[in-house]
Amino acid sequence: MSYFIARRLAGFLLTLWAVSVVVFAVMNVLPGDPALTILGIDSTEEARAALRARLGLDQPVVLRYLDWVAGALRGDFGTSFSFGVPVSGLIGERLPLTFSLALSGMVVTVILALVLGITAAARHGRPGDWGIMLLSQMGIAIPAFWLSMLLVLLFAVRLRWLPPGGFPGWGDPIAALRSLVLPTAALALVQSAVLARVTRSAALEVMRLDFVRTARASGFGSRHVLWRHVLPNALVPIVTIVGLQFAGLVTGTIVIENVFYLPGLGRLLFQSIANRDLITVQALVMLFATLVVTANFLVDIAYVIIDPRLRGARG
Amino acid sequence: MIEVEGLSITSAAGPILRDVRLHVAAGERLGVVGESGSGKTLLAMSLMGMVPDGLHVTGSIRIDGAEMGGADEAAWRRLRARRVAMIFQEPMSALNPLRRVGDTVAEPLIRHLGLSPRAARDKALALFEETGILGPERRLSQYPHQLSGGQRQRVLIALALACDPELLIADEPTTALDANVALRITRLLVRLARERRMGLLFISHDLAAVSRTTERLMVMYGGDVVETGATAEVLRAPAHPYTVGLLAARPSLAAHGKRRLPTIPGSVPPPQELPRGCRFSGRCGQEIARCADERPQPVATAPGSWAACHLLRARAKGAGA
Repeated sequence: MSYFIARRLAGFLLTLWAVSVVVFAVMNVLPGDPALTILGIDSTEEARAALRARLGLDQPVVLRYLDWVAGALRGDFGTSFSFGVPVSGLIGERLPLTFSLALSGMVVTVILALVLGITAAARHGRPGDWGIMLLSQMGIAIPAFWLSMLLVLLFAVRLRWLPPGGFPGWGDPIAALRSLVLPTAALALVQSAVLARVTRSAALEVMRLDFVRTARASGFGSRHVLWRHVLPNALVPIVTIVGLQFAGLVTGTIVIENVFYLPGLGRLLFQSIANRDLITVQALVMLFATLVVTANFLVDIAYVIIDPRLRGARG
Repeated sequence: MIEVEGLSITSAAGPILRDVRLHVAAGERLGVVGESGSGKTLLAMSLMGMVPDGLHVTGSIRIDGAEMGGADEAAWRRLRARRVAMIFQEPMSALNPLRRVGDTVAEPLIRHLGLSPRAARDKALALFEETGILGPERRLSQYPHQLSGGQRQRVLIALALACDPELLIADEPTTALDANVALRITRLLVRLARERRMGLLFISHDLAAVSRTTERLMVMYGGDVVETGATAEVLRAPAHPYTVGLLAARPSLAAHGKRRLPTIPGSVPPPQELPRGCRFSGRCGQEIARCADERPQPVATAPGSWAACHLLRARAKGAGA
C-alpha cells in the first residue's frame, strides 16, 4: 500500500514539475517580448528595457525559472503589474470565494449525480430511468454560461428570490451564501448531468454481479442493497470521472464568476489577461494546474481506500 | 417446514416449471438433480421469492403454514431475512469484494436481529468456527480475495446460517470447487442440517454429491419433476428413462478407458421447443404414441416414490392383465 502511494506521490511531484516548466515556458520562452506584451506596442524602447530589468528579464532563462519556482514555493509570486500589489495578496483575497464556489459545486454535483444515477439504475428500463436520462441529456447539451443566464432570468429577475450577481463579502454569511446559490447551481447542474450517467451505468454493471444476489438473498431491502453494496462497488469509475470533472469545475468557475460578477480567481484571471498582466496570469495558471493535478492525485489515493484488492497490488 | 404444491412458472414463451410439488421437514435433506435448463435454479429462486421480472408464478408455497404464493416483496424479504437462506454456485463472486468477510456475516445480525456490532462480531466468529473456517479470528478481518474457494463457500454458509434459517437452499454449492473441497463442504452441510434441525434443499447435477448429502431425491427435466423417492432407492433402481440415462452417463473409475461413456443424445431444448406431453420425449428413445402430447401422471414405484412416465403405466397394466 505504501509502495502504491509512494509511486503516486512521485508521479504527482513529477507532474507538478512538468506543469511548472510548461507554464513558465509558455509565458517566458516562447517568441514575443513579455515587456512588449505588458506595455503594448506603443510603448518606448527605454520603458521596455527598464521593465525588463525590473522583472529580471535580462537574466538567463534557467536562472529566471529557478527564481520563479523558489519564489512560488515560498508563496511569493512577484508583484502584479496591473494592480501594483503582490500577486500572493491578490490570490489570498480571492481564493476563499473561488474555493467555496468550487467546493459547493463539487458537493452538489456529487450528491445530485449519485441520487439521480442510482435512482435511474434502480428503475432500469422504466419511465423513471428514461426521465432522468432525458434530463441529463439536456444538462449535457446546455452550456453553463447560458444556463446561468436562464437561472438569473428566472430566479433573480422574475421571481426575485436570489441576487442576480455580485458578492457582498463574508461579513454577512447569509447574504454571501445566497449569492453563491445560483453560481453553484449553474456549475453543478451541467457537471452532474455527466456524472449521473456514469453513476447509472457503473451501478447497472455492478447490479449484475453475484454478490448483489447474495445481499438480496440475505433479506436486505433494495434501497440498502443499492446504497450499501452496489454503490461502493461502482465508486471506482465514479471517482475517476469526479477527478476529471474537477478540472472542468475549475475552468467552469472562470466562466461562472464572470457571468455572476463574483470577485474570485476566475475573474482575476480574466482581468489579468485583459490587462496583459503576465506575472499574475502565470501564477494563476500554475495555481489552477496545481489544483487539477492535486485532485487527480487524490483520486489515485481514493482508489486504494475504496478497493482493498488494490492495496497489495504493485502499480 | 416447507410445502410446495402445484408450483408453475410461465414466461411469455411458455411454461418453464410445471406443477412442482415438494416438501422438506425440519432436519430433512432433499436433493434436486437435473441438467442445466431443467428449472432447478428457478425452483430455488421461487422459494426465495426472487424469480426474475417477467415470469409468472402460480401455485402454493407454504412455509411453516404461512402461504407465500402471491406474497408481496416485503413479506418475501422478511422470509429471506429470517427463515430461508441460500448459498450459490460461485463462491468467488458471491461475496462483496470491498467488505471484510466478518462484516459481511455481521451485517444481517445487526440489521435483522438488532445485535450490537460487538455482539455481531462474536456471533460471526462463532459461525466461522461452526462452519470450520480455519483461523476464524484472523479471517474475520480479511477480504474475499484473500480466501480460497472452499473458505469463501464456508463464509457464505456462515452468512446463510446467521439468522438461524429453517431451510437452507444450496444451489450447486460444490460445482466450482475441487473434488476434495467439495466433499468437505457436503459433509459440513449434512452436519449442519442434523445439528440445527434445519431443512436442506441441495441442488446439483453431481449425482455423487447428491447421494452423499441427501435422504430424498427429486429428478427434474425441462421444468417437470420426473421422478422422486429415497435417494438411495432412486439411484439403485431408477424408474424414469431420464434418470436411467443420467445414471448411465455417470463416469465410473472401474470402467475408465474400457468403454465409451454413454450419453443422453441431444440437450435440453429451450422452453418454447419442449414437447407438450412428456418433456423428455424426443430424447428418450423408448417413446410410445402418446408421449409427445399427453403429460404422464405420476406412477408409484415404491412407498413414497413415484415417476411420471407412460411406459410405467403401460408396464403396470401389462403386468396386471
